[in-house]
Amino acid sequence: MTPFPAVVRRVFVTEDYFAFTDKLFNTSRIKEKPEALKGIRVLDLSRVIFGPMVAKWLSLFGAEVIKIEEPEEGDDWRTGTYWGKFWKDSCPYFQSLNPNKYFVAIDLKKEEGKDLVKELAKSADVVIENYRAGLIEAWGLGYMTLSAINPRIIYISCSGYGQWGPLRYYPSYDLIAQSMSGVARMTGYSEDTTYKLPDYYGDFYPAILGAVGVLAALNRREETGRGQYIDMAQTEALMRAMHNWTYTSVTGDDITQTGNFDPTMAPSGIFKTKDNEFVALAIATTEQFIALTEAMGARELVNDVRFRESKERLKPENAAAINDRVSSWIRDSSVQAIIESAKKNGFPAAPVMDDWKLVTDSWREERGSVVEFDDDMYGKGRWAGSPVSLSRSPGRLKNLTRPIGYHNRYVFKEILGLTEEEIRRLEKKSIIGYWDNRVGKRPPPYVDMEKDELFNYKKDVKD
Amino acid sequence: MTDKKVREQLERFNDLLETMMQSSEDKQSALHGLRVLEISYASFPGLICGAMLGEMGADVVKIEPPQGDPAREATYNGVYIRDVGIPFVIENRNKRMLMADFNEDRYVEKIKELAKKADIIIDAMPPGYLDSRGIGYRQLAGINPGLIYAALSPYGHYTAKAKEYKNIPDTDLTAQAESGYPALTGDPDAREPYNYPLRAGIWAASYMGAAIAVAGILTALMYRRKTGEGQMVDMATYDAISAWQGFSHVWGFTNEMPRTRIGNFDWCLFPYGYYKAKDGYVTIAAASDADFRGLLKILGRWDLEDDWRFLFDRIADDPEKLRELEVEIKKEIAKYTRKELYEKTFAYGARAARDTLRSRGFPIVVETRSPREAASEKHWQVRKSFVQIDIEGFGVIRIAALPPRMSGSPSHTRWIKTGIGEDDEEIFGESDLKIL
Repeated sequence: MTPFPAVVRRVFVTEDYFAFTDKLFNTSRIKEKPEALKGIRVLDLSRVIFGPMVAKWLSLFGAEVIKIEEPEEGDDWRTGTYWGKFWKDSCPYFQSLNPNKYFVAIDLKKEEGKDLVKELAKSADVVIENYRAGLIEAWGLGYMTLSAINPRIIYISCSGYGQWGPLRYYPSYDLIAQSMSGVARMTGYSEDTTYKLPDYYGDFYPAILGAVGVLAALNRREETGRGQYIDMAQTEALMRAMHNWTYTSVTGDDITQTGNFDPTMAPSGIFKTKDNEFVALAIATTEQFIALTEAMGARELVNDVRFRESKERLKPENAAAINDRVSSWIRDSSVQAIIESAKKNGFPAAPVMDDWKLVTDSWREERGSVVEFDDDMYGKGRWAGSPVSLSRSPGRLKNLTRPIGYHNRYVFKEILGLTEEEIRRLEKKSIIGYWDNRVGKRPPPYVDMEKDELFNYKKDVKD
Repeated sequence: MTDKKVREQLERFNDLLETMMQSSEDKQSALHGLRVLEISYASFPGLICGAMLGEMGADVVKIEPPQGDPAREATYNGVYIRDVGIPFVIENRNKRMLMADFNEDRYVEKIKELAKKADIIIDAMPPGYLDSRGIGYRQLAGINPGLIYAALSPYGHYTAKAKEYKNIPDTDLTAQAESGYPALTGDPDAREPYNYPLRAGIWAASYMGAAIAVAGILTALMYRRKTGEGQMVDMATYDAISAWQGFSHVWGFTNEMPRTRIGNFDWCLFPYGYYKAKDGYVTIAAASDADFRGLLKILGRWDLEDDWRFLFDRIADDPEKLRELEVEIKKEIAKYTRKELYEKTFAYGARAARDTLRSRGFPIVVETRSPREAASEKHWQVRKSFVQIDIEGFGVIRIAALPPRMSGSPSHTRWIKTGIGEDDEEIFGESDLKIL
């Protein structure tokens, strides 16, 4: 054993380090701190999860995101709630996907509707869409048109297959991308019964890479003064996260389904404890393995030729043997005891959390990834906060969603300088619109929209 | 727009796409000119974060101890590439290799020198370790105020829990567990232990965590552009999936109890899952009412339309009831081969797409592909989604390229090195870090 790993494990950390970081990241101070993307204007023409989550990243960090929906219907996810359960007449998932945004409703099929978008594009930095490939270009609102109006625009198209290639016109969803990438066949114990990655991983993970693309392009624009076009394909995102191609090119074989065993780490798995809880444990290195044997009081395992080195331990028959030993050890311990010894000795272990434990988790509250939020329209709730913490310019929740077209007056008056008269004309001609009176689309029942200041923005002001 | 104008537009768009899809060596990558020091130890999120920045053109120096980063040990079935684990090789893209023994002050001083000129530091060491060696955020920000210091660790670098749990190392499986992910998958009716919460079969947590760290770094970079100020970016790998997806929060908050697992069913959409055809599995996504009706037409089961026409009737709050419909769909799907189903649905969809009212839906049925089947798809070859890289002393391996495609500043994997400290002389010897 080399000195470096040992020092790393039982390291003396200067006493005040965590006091320093607690102060640096204190979530109560987030409100006072500046926003990294303030001043960036985003037109979000996307729907459902993938595109809107690219926009959410930007809106969490201070960009002005204008979500453009179809009048009456709006984004499908407004009514796509689980089990048909609505929260204050809204879909709670929709709230989670679209915070901090401005909501306008424009009929993009009408020429005047397209003109409104083109006007907004003059001062926009980013445009996000996830229609089928070529559709928005054919509508006259694609990259070619908008970049001619404003060469600084960063335009991202989000789709399953990408904008180029024989399959580009096929519609796609998270599960389709999982199936086309081969991800769909990796979770489970046998080739015959595999499971999808839950909660639309095929939308959420590609959305982060989409945001990365936009942010990289914004950064690049500082050098070049120009925007660019971004083609974000869900399936390519998933394939980037897989090792199968490499393994097959090296061995000629396939990585098979291995259930709860991570085939790169032995021992590894999800085990049941004495108190009927589930705990995950995975050993990535020999150093961690030694730590585990100390915790198990089974130091002799380190001298066993089957387990001594990772190379041997990872061979399927040896991995199975060590997994059995670990399984027995865990069966005789409580989850608390396992985690305590993981902390003390330095090996990877974690309880299997669930939705309720997670949303009431005090660690996540302290971190700010679970937030108690009091919204002006929807009141109190618990939501996901920022997925990463920035010390100087942190992300934050500012508003939950609003009904379809809620910010029409605000956005068109403030950004486009339209008069009240012009807006009424657009309403009359159904160029712009509002919500259909259905649950999920409409405001909460207790809100009197006649009296809502923002909805009626400067309605009575003499033009 | 006139038809002619639309055609011209689409032609220009096609030209743009064609040039994007070519290998464009002449264009600089998006992060060209940025200098990154990756100090990671047994951390795949740290490695992947460095790789992604490197693919986007940053100059990434990976720093390892004399015996190498123990992440090298992890690999599939004990198969190594020149004694280096396959995942490590995959995630060492575009990096230059530096050896540093942090027990020795002279190395610490050298790292400080490099840090003075760096834009980004990746700290994927146990929280507080680099600080204890004098090269943590507060020390380095002191000598380089524009520095973006990205910390990646299981429980983060702040909060009471972070301090208590700082010795726990990162793995994808334990990160999935702490994010509540395995609790959502698997078959609760299988016999023990197959009914346990189930691991996602790819490194769902490690990749999510790394990508979130990259996005956080680039967000901090935008702030620095405006103000000249750097900052610390803290990513908790054990919270990556949960913090971003947020559906656990919604469920927990609105129900005050966790979900139970429902196998192939989805909590919001039906049908949305895998079905067995004559010769293998297909994936069906036909959840909107129009899509579902389209599916029934294709399968010749319009008799089911009356009872199940609305999504509210088809969602899984009563899995037992939904099983009645599921059984019927399964029966129909089993009559056809994958190819037949795909062709039938595609033919229907092509007709439906011409319907201006878009009322006929577009149910989607695709093969539930294995990775091998996925890789052989011509579409990805046309798009060059896979790349061949030569590993010195080993041969050519295949990797998946990083999306997205960018028209003005494309990403590339140029090389993958594996030798500990093989670029020491070049890096320590230079007065300025090399720009790619």
